[in-house]
Amino acid sequence: MIFTAILIPVLAGLILLLGPEWKNRKQLCGFTDAALLLSFLAVCVALGTTKENEAVTLFNLTTGLPIFFKIDGVSRFFAVLTGILWVPAGIYAFGYMEHEWKEKRYYGFYLLSYAVLTGLDFSGNLITFYLFYESMSLLTLPLVLHNGSKEAIMAGLKYLFFSLAGAYMVLFGLFLLNRFGNTLTFTAGGVLDAALLEGREGLLLAGAFLMILGFGVKAGMFPLHAWLPAAHPVAPAPASGVLSGMIAKCGVLGVIRTVFYLFGADFLRGTWVQQVWLVLSLTTVLLGSMMAYREKGLKKRLAYSTVSQVSYILFGLATLQWEGFTGAFLHTAAHALMKCGLFLVAGAIIFKTGKTKVEELSGIGRQMPVTMICYTLLSLSLIGIPPFGGFVSKWFLGRGGVNSGLPVFDILGPAVLLVSALLTAGYLLPISIRGFLGGEESVVRPEKKEPSFLMLAPIVLFTVLVTVLGICPDKVIGYITEIAKVLIKEGMTG
Amino acid sequence: MSGILMLGAILLPILGSIPIFLFKWQNRKAMRIYVELLVCAASLLVGYLLLRGPSAPFTVVTFTGNLTVEFKIDGLSTVFAGMIAVLWPFATLYSFEYMRNEPRERSFFLFYTMTYGVTLGIAMSGNLLTMYFFYELLTLVTVPLVMQTLTREAILASRKYLYYSLGGAAFAFIGLVFIIVYGSSIDFVYGGVLDLVKVGSRTNILLLIYVFAFCGFGVKAALCPFNSWLPQAGVAPTPVTALLHAVAVVKSGAFAIMRLTYYSYGTEFLKGTWAQDVVMTLTIITIVYGCSRAVKETHLKRRLAYSTISNLSYILFGVSLMTPAGLMGGLTHMLFHAFIKICSFFCVGAVMHETGRNYVHEIDGFGRKMPKVFACFTVSALALMGVPGMAGFISKWYLAGAAISTGEPLACAGVAALLISALLTAIYMLTIVVRAYFPPREFDYAAIEQVRDAKPLMWLPLLFFVIVILLFGVASRPITGFLGEVAAGRY
Repeated sequence: MIFTAILIPVLAGLILLLGPEWKNRKQLCGFTDAALLLSFLAVCVALGTTKENEAVTLFNLTTGLPIFFKIDGVSRFFAVLTGILWVPAGIYAFGYMEHEWKEKRYYGFYLLSYAVLTGLDFSGNLITFYLFYESMSLLTLPLVLHNGSKEAIMAGLKYLFFSLAGAYMVLFGLFLLNRFGNTLTFTAGGVLDAALLEGREGLLLAGAFLMILGFGVKAGMFPLHAWLPAAHPVAPAPASGVLSGMIAKCGVLGVIRTVFYLFGADFLRGTWVQQVWLVLSLTTVLLGSMMAYREKGLKKRLAYSTVSQVSYILFGLATLQWEGFTGAFLHTAAHALMKCGLFLVAGAIIFKTGKTKVEELSGIGRQMPVTMICYTLLSLSLIGIPPFGGFVSKWFLGRGGVNSGLPVFDILGPAVLLVSALLTAGYLLPISIRGFLGGEESVVRPEKKEPSFLMLAPIVLFTVLVTVLGICPDKVIGYITEIAKVLIKEGMTG
Repeated sequence: MSGILMLGAILLPILGSIPIFLFKWQNRKAMRIYVELLVCAASLLVGYLLLRGPSAPFTVVTFTGNLTVEFKIDGLSTVFAGMIAVLWPFATLYSFEYMRNEPRERSFFLFYTMTYGVTLGIAMSGNLLTMYFFYELLTLVTVPLVMQTLTREAILASRKYLYYSLGGAAFAFIGLVFIIVYGSSIDFVYGGVLDLVKVGSRTNILLLIYVFAFCGFGVKAALCPFNSWLPQAGVAPTPVTALLHAVAVVKSGAFAIMRLTYYSYGTEFLKGTWAQDVVMTLTIITIVYGCSRAVKETHLKRRLAYSTISNLSYILFGVSLMTPAGLMGGLTHMLFHAFIKICSFFCVGAVMHETGRNYVHEIDGFGRKMPKVFACFTVSALALMGVPGMAGFISKWYLAGAAISTGEPLACAGVAALLISALLTAIYMLTIVVRAYFPPREFDYAAIEQVRDAKPLMWLPLLFFVIVILLFGVASRPITGFLGEVAAGRY
């Protein structure tokens, strides 16, 4: 079933890419839509029918190097999240891409990327993960450089080469793990072999650090974040949405797999790797927020915001403590929904008015009321105000920091998160305020410019989901705590 | 019996190519058929010999004492001879189309076919002297191929090639002399032939001579700082650059170094010495140097030539690890890189042949106009980067695994160099792919209206290479298992 879930979007994507031009735009969208829904359905069926930790081998690259899939709690979480993001953003694209060129190519690569992400979520060992990770960099490149301007192509190449640099750092760790571990299969608690390890801890720690840094490239972690604010905004809005929402999270998934399933939290706890990792993630949180505050272009501002917010997640993971871990997962979900929603709003504004700069947006709230209300709610969530999803996740992240028992960081971490929240308010809310209150007073009845239903529905859907996550998060928290129980033994209470 | 057959396989292309030049060949087609049949016959003969397994040494001439011309087939010969026997017929097919409109076609095919025999001679040499003889011969028969176009540039390049190669061979010769004096024989014996009693306290001299010989053979393998002939020799027609300067000639250098290290001096003697550190450092430098130059270079063929420089040092790096696993990594990369690089060279050659465009910035939008060629090029680019599922990943996997297993800091630095080089490879290969498939928005397709995809004679070999690359990538176990046996000296 897992194969089918990956195969459907691959085939559909190849049909689009290699097939002839479609005369009828409606049919093209219908085909893409059907393929997306069918793929998501197949993923759900796969999740439902496959047993926990049942391995499905595809083939062997070489001796002892199998490509195989396995579904565990983390896979389920990410696979469902990917679907929830990918399908609505795809539907949104049917409205948005009307004013772009080469729609067929876009949908083709969009479907292929979905297949690759599904493969990534279901990967059972590091080499499979690496295979899909590298494919993801290559196949999402056309989404980034889609509009074909010189700027977009340069940004796309920057994206590609940063990603590959990260991937090769990971590969170094992979070589080390292959030598000093029992297996490359993701195993809760780690795979390191104490007997082989003897006297090589330093090298292994360096490998772990390189892997965190390498996966951190996709997650936009300082110092290798420079590609993100260039690449995310130049893509068409629905692609920016999923890039920030989901692709960046694949870096997070990589870090989770590295730290908790390969090296093991106990191996890293209290080492220089954890310290440096904490410093880097907190630096990124602050740096991203400050850059976003200064930025004038709306989409670019949102991209800087992604830099900052994804590092919240990394900070949560770096505490190696169950509350931080829970917060990281919650924030992964919440930020995916919020940021994708915000990018879709930015896209709707561009689509309807052609405005891209923040200062041009005075009075936009009266022209596009529903869109801007959604924007405001999503912003409030991103700042971390109850009762939205963003509050719950940050609550856990903050507690994770305070209860981590790490000197300095137990105070510094939460403090940085708070300052960043303030900055977040500073760069998001003025747009709402000026949007609803600013603008020319003389216009009594502004022209309504609300986007079509296809574009509006995904935005509203994301807003609703974030609110639901904020109001009744218990089920999700319970689910994540179950995962955390296995991975992190220390400090578990209740 | 097999001795005669070995000699036959080597002499067939060498002597059989003479009629190409002797007759006028009014009918070009007949000549092509003759050449192809000749090459195929030699390949079949080689295939038959290799399938029969290792053979006893066959002495042709005895000069004096143990100085003989001797052929034999062992594991290492099987890999090298098998590789070129598969590649040569396909490359010949490609060159028929490529050379269609070029002058001096006959002399081209004369030397092209002759080189095949000489390379087989290197592969099947049974001792150092024989290999040295064919090694010198290889230089002489390939010089006219570099000179083919007879432009000033080509003549300068071929002169440089000649001097570098002869100079290198001179250093290699010193290595040969020391083996004659201090070895128990000059035959290739897995594990080396040095007689430690004779060596006595002269270890350091011998190590120095080993470094000399390594660098001497390293000239053909484009070891930095002796690499500058290779990009310049790119003025030769593409079949020459692809088959000789990415496979046959340069890999003869790598092959000779394998023989020298594992079969003459022996890893027991060399491992852990300063000589090992010196040669390994040289290979690591070359790996990074070649790639960085490739990134800077905008001429397509020269870019690939620099890439070859870097990839050859992957092989040499594996060899310099001085472990069976390292040799296996080197052998795997020698084999896989051959297919990958010949594929990318042929793609670039097809572009040059069809449109006369030579530079990276001239190929905007070609992905749509030459879909077959660029599909193949993309596959070779990904394989060269080492994306899992393609041949390049497997060989790098074994190289890196071997390096990390030694636990030496220098070897770990080598792994880091491999990864840096992988990133640079991505940069110099993928910028070409991105340009071809995603031209800027304002790009006008009318400007390349008349560009046509390659003819079947050109893209059929490409298709074959692509299939092999993918096959090696996903189902490499039979072949890597065999290479492992060879590298451990068990075949």
